[in-house]
Amino acid sequence: MIKALGYFIEIIRGIVITSRHFFVNMFFHILKVLGIKTKRKGAVTIQYPEQKKEIAARHRSLHRLMAREDGKPRCVACMLCVTVCPSECIYVEAAEDPDLEMQKYPSKFIIDIGRCCFCGFCVEACPEDAIRMDSGEIDFAGYTRDDLVYDLDKLLR
Amino acid sequence: MVKIHIDKKPIDVEEGTTVLKAAETAGISIPHLCYHDAFPPEGSCRMCLVEIEGLPKLELACSTQVRDGMKVFTKSEKVVEARKGVLEFLLAEHPLDCPICDKAGDCKLQDYYDEYGLFESQFRESKEKREKKDKIGKSLIHDEERCILCRRCVRFLREITETQELGVFERGIHSRVNIYDLTPVDNNYSGNLAQICPVGAITDEDFRFKTRSWFLKKGESICPLCSRGCSITIEYHPGFSHFGVPSRVYRIQSRENQEVNGFWICDMGRYGYSYLSENRLDKIVINNKEWNIQPTWEDVSYFINQQLKKLDEGKKTSQTVLILNTWLSNEELFLIHKIFKNDQNLERIFFADRPQAEKDDFLLTAERTPNKKGALEMGFDMKPANPGALSDKTDLLLAFGSFLAEQISAADLKKALEKIETKVLFTSHENELNSLFDIVLPTALIPEKGGSLTNIDGKIQKFSPVFEPPGDSLPEWMMLADLGRKFGINSSFYGEFKTPETIAKEIENEVPFFREQK
Repeated sequence: MIKALGYFIEIIRGIVITSRHFFVNMFFHILKVLGIKTKRKGAVTIQYPEQKKEIAARHRSLHRLMAREDGKPRCVACMLCVTVCPSECIYVEAAEDPDLEMQKYPSKFIIDIGRCCFCGFCVEACPEDAIRMDSGEIDFAGYTRDDLVYDLDKLLR
Repeated sequence: MVKIHIDKKPIDVEEGTTVLKAAETAGISIPHLCYHDAFPPEGSCRMCLVEIEGLPKLELACSTQVRDGMKVFTKSEKVVEARKGVLEFLLAEHPLDCPICDKAGDCKLQDYYDEYGLFESQFRESKEKREKKDKIGKSLIHDEERCILCRRCVRFLREITETQELGVFERGIHSRVNIYDLTPVDNNYSGNLAQICPVGAITDEDFRFKTRSWFLKKGESICPLCSRGCSITIEYHPGFSHFGVPSRVYRIQSRENQEVNGFWICDMGRYGYSYLSENRLDKIVINNKEWNIQPTWEDVSYFINQQLKKLDEGKKTSQTVLILNTWLSNEELFLIHKIFKNDQNLERIFFADRPQAEKDDFLLTAERTPNKKGALEMGFDMKPANPGALSDKTDLLLAFGSFLAEQISAADLKKALEKIETKVLFTSHENELNSLFDIVLPTALIPEKGGSLTNIDGKIQKFSPVFEPPGDSLPEWMMLADLGRKFGINSSFYGEFKTPETIAKEIENEVPFFREQK
């Protein structure tokens, strides 16, 4: 009996919290409609994924590999990103480019997004500005772990 | 002995030593690029400038000999400034392609810039374009832009191999190292050039773009490919397990050992490392249908023990054959000698090894037997294994290594082995030979176990494990010590042998040669 009473108290507390948020937000929205400027704004629900919030300029989103004018990756497979990566999620295999100016290019460039912690060290380490995290893509869930392993074709754009 | 002061630190050195070597003994490192311990000083890089009290100009540490009462300063303001200046000139024409340079990480120029340079470039002019990828030898690629003209390569070919394939052409800013008349560097020691180049001017095609040097883990070992036993450093990558990339040896470098190989190793030893990771056997293989489980070493050792016990005394000595090879360490050969020759009185012990091959008059020997001397000193008479050796009635065959296939033709071997009741092979590799045996046990290779080898000159060289043996492979000495314990003739004696060092100590007690060598 006393236990059941406990449930009711919690339900009432929940209703109080929800209503407080509702009325406080309502109050700020009414002030906005009346043209009164306040420091605090009323909360707005964004209808994700139909509606998307703008991503901040320095937000670290999905990696992309930059291409040269001729479409080849800028990356020279120096493996500094592999070296600096704290979660060991990058794997690069280098190959010989017949173009003497280039010499070295990545024949394999794999990022395991499932391991990545989005620290952005790879972007900072890159001497060629070949990897960036500014694609703006933030929804890359997959059904298997392999779906999250991105290779050169997926990363280069 | 003369008394000198380096950075106010008093040291006593032999007369005739150079300032650079004297500083090294005192633990003070003086940067140098062209100087190499193997050659007389050249003095072309000017990195080793030091200030000597009483002399008006800075002097070269690599070529100045010590005098009594000399006061040397290696960190004075003048020296630091001069070093910076020298570095700036060296880097004036040096391309900034460290990201694609295989030397990056091992590069002395890179290290010295980090330590003594750290200046902004003052040059506004663009750097000269030169040959970036010039194949100058079997496995050597020369990048003229990176060359700092230290002439180590030229001196190596002049003084060590005496083949003189490289020279410095033209003068001033146009100076470049190249081959004469398109005759490539083609000798058995060319791989050393890539190792002694202080920058990335000469790089190894075998290592080209494979990985970066800072990923590699290094371990000291001994080259088992000929009977010289050169000291080597094995550089391997432990692998990216989550990308399914296995551990792999990327290169072998020479290691200084004045008693055996000096600073050098031959190309056969340098590039012949594929055997370490290719075709390795990693679990026990059973070709006998009576066994329907995947056995462990425990099961197999019990089985060998039973087989040996089944044979009565007289038969055991004559109907059991042991085939050994010289890739076995002193410790393993000692255990085999103890167990099978002393305890079990076996008579039919043979050796199957790689046949002799080409030698040169420097390091490479004709014998491809890393521990032949050790086997002889251990008391084996080293009769070669041939079909005749197996023709007598044999009940049990214990063979070590796969070299049997190199000595006896496949058909003869098959015929000889068919008659033998129980055949056990200890080997490290997958081989056609393996299918002819009932039980094949995977074993460890030299860099995967501890022990010692005796080289052609009788020098005993210890080695310790660099990396783990693959899968279920075990070092032979471990299996042998276990067999010794299981045979039960002198269990407590073999029970002592927990490490190769304990076995080595026992060898010194029992075999005079090993005692004297110590």
